[in-house]
Amino acid sequence: MKRLLPVLLIGVVGVLIALPWIAGPTLIQFAINALMLATLAQGWNIIGGFAGYASFGNSIFFGLGSYGVAIAMVQWNLPFGVGLAVGVVFSVVFALAMGVPVLRLRGHYFAIATLALSQVMSAIFSNLDIAGRNIGLVLPLLRSDTLFYELSLALLIVATLIVFWLSRSRFGFGLIAIRENEDAAQSMGVNTTRYKVLAFTLAGILSSLAGGIHAYWITFIDPNSAFDLSLNVKMIIMAVFGGPGSVLGPVIGAALLSGVSELLSSTLSSVASLFFGLVIVIAVILMPKGLTDCWLKFPVSRWHYFIHNIRQYRL
Amino acid sequence: MSQVLLQLNNWCAGYAGVDVLNSIDLSVNQCEIVALVGSNGAGKTTLLRSLSRTIKGHGEMRFAGRSIYEDTPEKVFENGLVQVPEGRMLFDQMSVQENLLMGAYRRADKAAIKHSLEHVYELFPKMFERRHQRSGSMSGGEQQMCAMGRALMANPKLLLVDEMSLGLAPVIVDQLLEILTTIRQQGITVLLVEQDIYAALEIADRGYVMVTGSITQSGSATELKNDPHIREAYLGL
Repeated sequence: MKRLLPVLLIGVVGVLIALPWIAGPTLIQFAINALMLATLAQGWNIIGGFAGYASFGNSIFFGLGSYGVAIAMVQWNLPFGVGLAVGVVFSVVFALAMGVPVLRLRGHYFAIATLALSQVMSAIFSNLDIAGRNIGLVLPLLRSDTLFYELSLALLIVATLIVFWLSRSRFGFGLIAIRENEDAAQSMGVNTTRYKVLAFTLAGILSSLAGGIHAYWITFIDPNSAFDLSLNVKMIIMAVFGGPGSVLGPVIGAALLSGVSELLSSTLSSVASLFFGLVIVIAVILMPKGLTDCWLKFPVSRWHYFIHNIRQYRL
Repeated sequence: MSQVLLQLNNWCAGYAGVDVLNSIDLSVNQCEIVALVGSNGAGKTTLLRSLSRTIKGHGEMRFAGRSIYEDTPEKVFENGLVQVPEGRMLFDQMSVQENLLMGAYRRADKAAIKHSLEHVYELFPKMFERRHQRSGSMSGGEQQMCAMGRALMANPKLLLVDEMSLGLAPVIVDQLLEILTTIRQQGITVLLVEQDIYAALEIADRGYVMVTGSITQSGSATELKNDPHIREAYLGL
């Protein structure tokens, strides 16, 4: 199985690259969304899964990336690529400026602070003339789902490769040490502040690129949709469902949950979110450590795996 | 033998501008075991924190012949001033071996790291048996061994051992103390910070007694053990 995995992955990536020439427009639009969510989940994985900091601020980076592209293209008449770079610059500045104070907080306090920050950003952008205030900005129209699809796919592959590198690098090991015991990591000579800020920045860059692509694709952004907290909740659910701290977990989690959510809303429409919630609850009860853990342990202990989880977490 | 490794002169440190330590004079020689003893709240942990540069202080602090007053925590760690923190502070979800390797985090030479790992396993055969076990699932004594092993993996010159005996059975404490003497024979200096004065003075060469942020007494371990005042105040004899 271990040896098959790379072959399998290359096969899947090949099929995904060829998808626009195989599938219809509805599927491609669904896929663009799913790829974007997977990239966001992968970004969250760096700060939340590896470093163990449950960030509610990743949707800020998504918004900054969106506004970077929108402001650059609409107000300054710059090309899309430059817009992406502008978004990344916004995000890096934000991550460095806010990461240093906010990453001093731990646990719930970090979550609350990032939550508040995303509200603040939304308020700031709805008062900026250059960002179109409350009304938002309308971007030039580019009707090419294939282009957006391939761009999103490329970004997800880059994000996953970064996480793969993280999982075997000294930097990644330092982040895991911070997650396991931050004081101990510090006493072992890990520069915890620098590592946390770097992880936050890296997650921010990926989220902001996803936001930039999304803004150009949707062609319209306003403060509420750009700094949407429910998007942040989605990336956490997907990353945790897939297996935080793993390489492929968040991607598989995002793909599966996007599929389930789409399937439910097309068959059940109005009560879809109720069933979606049910799926999450059952998943959390049966495999609280995510799909990756289940994938590794289910072949050994079979259905005892689920019973063990229920017992261990006293559910 | 009598070369000075760590030297504190007129050293003060504390929190938020309030000094907890009042002009501490302390020295540790190469290959010595020095005990720093004192009751709760005497400032022992504060002293260790200021030694590993996680809190600020003022005065003179020299380690291995140079002033480390300006150094960052990472820098002093790399230079060989390594702590075995109070309460073990293991990475609970990691295996024993991963914990040990974390100790070598700032080292780059793979062959030397492997050599250190073998050396730690020689010192603690139990850690070798349990190398794939999750460190959080071991007993307190084993966790303490793991924490000491991890510190040794950093290639220390001076090992700062903070409250090693905390919550451990006396027989385990004796075993760990014995290991400290072995470590010393291999050329590593130990500063042992303890509330368990009797245990600490058993293996130490010299000792310092701390009371409310000042060093009130110092001398050879035998001297301190036989000091009537200390016998009365700390040993209850």
